[in-house]
Amino acid sequence: MGEQRVTSTSTLASTQATKPPWYRDTTIVKWFAQVAALVLVVGALAFLAIVGGDNLEAKDIATDFDFLNINQGFDISEGIDSDPDTGGRALWVGIVNTLRLAVAGMFVATILGVLIGVARLSQNWMVNKAASAYIETLRNIPVIVQIFIYAAVLGGLGRLTADSDFLWGLGYISAKGVSLPRVFVADGFYQWAVFLVIGSVVGFFVHRNRVRLQESTGRITYPNLWALGVLTAFAIVGWFAHPMWGFLSGVFGSIGDAWDSIPQILMQLLLSALVVFSAASWIRRFLDSKRTPAGLAKLTDDDIFRIIFAGVGGVIGLLFLMVLWPGLSSWIVNSGSDFWHFLADKFGDGRSGQPVDAMMPTIEGEGTLLKYGPQGLTMTVGFAAMFLGVTLYTAAFIAEIVRGGILAVPKGQSEAASAIGLNRAQSLRQVILPQAFRVSLPPLGNQYLNLTKNTSLGIAVGYADVVSIGNTLLNQSGKALSVIALWMLFYLACSLSISVVVNWFNVRMKIVER
Amino acid sequence: MTDAMTLHASSTAEMIVCDAVDKWYGDFQALKGVSATIAEREVVVVLGPSGSGKSTWIRCINRLEAHQGGRIVVDGVELTNDTRNIEKIRSEVGMVFQQFNLFPHLTVLDNITLAPRWVRKVPKADAEAKAMELLETVGIPEQAEKFPGQLSGGQQQRVAIARALAMEPRVMLFDEPTSALDPEMIKEVLDVMKGLARSGMTMIVVTHEMGFAREVADRIIFMESGEIVEVGTPEHFFTNPTEDRTKLFLSQIL
Repeated sequence: MGEQRVTSTSTLASTQATKPPWYRDTTIVKWFAQVAALVLVVGALAFLAIVGGDNLEAKDIATDFDFLNINQGFDISEGIDSDPDTGGRALWVGIVNTLRLAVAGMFVATILGVLIGVARLSQNWMVNKAASAYIETLRNIPVIVQIFIYAAVLGGLGRLTADSDFLWGLGYISAKGVSLPRVFVADGFYQWAVFLVIGSVVGFFVHRNRVRLQESTGRITYPNLWALGVLTAFAIVGWFAHPMWGFLSGVFGSIGDAWDSIPQILMQLLLSALVVFSAASWIRRFLDSKRTPAGLAKLTDDDIFRIIFAGVGGVIGLLFLMVLWPGLSSWIVNSGSDFWHFLADKFGDGRSGQPVDAMMPTIEGEGTLLKYGPQGLTMTVGFAAMFLGVTLYTAAFIAEIVRGGILAVPKGQSEAASAIGLNRAQSLRQVILPQAFRVSLPPLGNQYLNLTKNTSLGIAVGYADVVSIGNTLLNQSGKALSVIALWMLFYLACSLSISVVVNWFNVRMKIVER
Repeated sequence: MTDAMTLHASSTAEMIVCDAVDKWYGDFQALKGVSATIAEREVVVVLGPSGSGKSTWIRCINRLEAHQGGRIVVDGVELTNDTRNIEKIRSEVGMVFQQFNLFPHLTVLDNITLAPRWVRKVPKADAEAKAMELLETVGIPEQAEKFPGQLSGGQQQRVAIARALAMEPRVMLFDEPTSALDPEMIKEVLDVMKGLARSGMTMIVVTHEMGFAREVADRIIFMESGEIVEVGTPEHFFTNPTEDRTKLFLSQIL
């Protein structure tokens, strides 16, 4: 017995004493893996860049972006500029068109999707079945087929003639699309905007006051109506009184001049200080978060990596500002001064006209070659088909997400809400929807990404989106790689922006648990 | 004088009257002609094997389930399809669930003030003062700003009781309030319920806690297969039950 115990202790002691071989030591393995991964990634990228560069050179394929600065000489059917003077401007028109379609689509698809999703849960047989039929039809037909159908139907509208007007001449409708009155920003807009800003601030405080009054007395005080009333009052007064802000022109002008006189080196130093400061404060906050009452907790290898990366990032930023791209600082100085001078100009003398104006749509051309003039706000058949296509299609998916979100809230929640006396609407608004929204948010973000990417189908019905215009540029200049790189960059930027917004909401709305 | 008398009489005598209540789930009859009268300030414990219709019965009393035959009258108001009656009864009847069913996205304080503020239109400050009082009563005022997910099961159930009490109900229904709790937390919830019983609240409690039934109940109702088998005082029920089915149930659990 005694012998056995002695043996077992000695086994324990020997186990403790033995250091594992290096390939089993987690500390070493982890560092090794990190460094190896870094080397592999950098190596692979460098290899691809070198091989790709050699191949392109061998085949004489140009990868420059010169075509962005050259007049490509083609017209664009719709957008902020129908006759862009450079390739870059043309691409910009396409980007605006894509964003216009995507943003309008997300907005309408969300509203429609929520309504249909709730309708599908309705007890009412008709409403329920109608919603089911909508969802099952639209999500099972490929979106491109739907877009073609809408384009064909809308293309069947009559030819554009002088008689194509509707609503007593307020608009025109034909196979060339719809043209409506265009509302635009006029002379006095910026002065008027000052009134709107002040009105919003005052309205905000009035709103807060009314909410407090409601909370302290229990009386209904209509805070939203009050805030809206204040804003409207400011807008109306401002419509007539806005020329009083003309003096701001001089103020903005002097600020712009002062900004202009900032030497480049000063801006460089300021920005460098900012970079160093943010890196340092990030490291400090990180260390603070690791601090426990018993003192600094032992840093793991991961933590050390993060600190090293923050430090390296700061140094790279510094190099970038001082050596690699000193032009950035002067660019910031120039654009700052441009901004102030722009404001000075917008507040300048003679801008006493009305803030907002509207133009009636017109028709240009002779005989059978009629087209819409630039005065009206024109929505082509291409846009309409794309808009209907991506919106109705995505709304079907959003409806399913909303339905799933509501069903994911446990039944006990609505029972508890009924048991304490809330009626159906109050229970939905206060208890069910806030929880359903939290469940729906991540898949909703995916649908927004899908919708944005689906707008690239515009090329199929001649909608001048970024892909369609990029394609024209590609054919004219032959710079396929450059155009593809710009496409990728643009869609990546869109997707990342949507992800950032959705994630921000997601973190903010997260239900607190221990 | 006579008005005052009848008012007094009606409020002491019968708080809840159930008369031959039937309830079906499809072909399955969950309640078979359940009749019972519960007086004001009375504490009734409902016992019975699982599936005997105990929970279904008390869920019918505040219309979480609709009954299909017979009558249910709460404080002189009959439960019908009239939404006004349903709302009136729900605001007089508080309910505590086995799974707590707190609202996870609201703080403890907001959970308790939600109904007073939205249904009764009580000013926020008053509702919160009242909520703090109730949290004091159930013994966890320091948890007011936390979210349900940060509390233990026993604390959550006490918040649920405070939430039900915030509407100042005249009747409280408890649907197996301690069945989802760890053993060491059962006592803290039962203590709150005992205090509530002593304060004169009319209570119907579905539970498996025999100690609580013996100590607190004025009457015990034993149900099986959707029927009331036996009704009596705790003394009668635990020492001298008349029905064979009651004896069998007691022999299995005691």
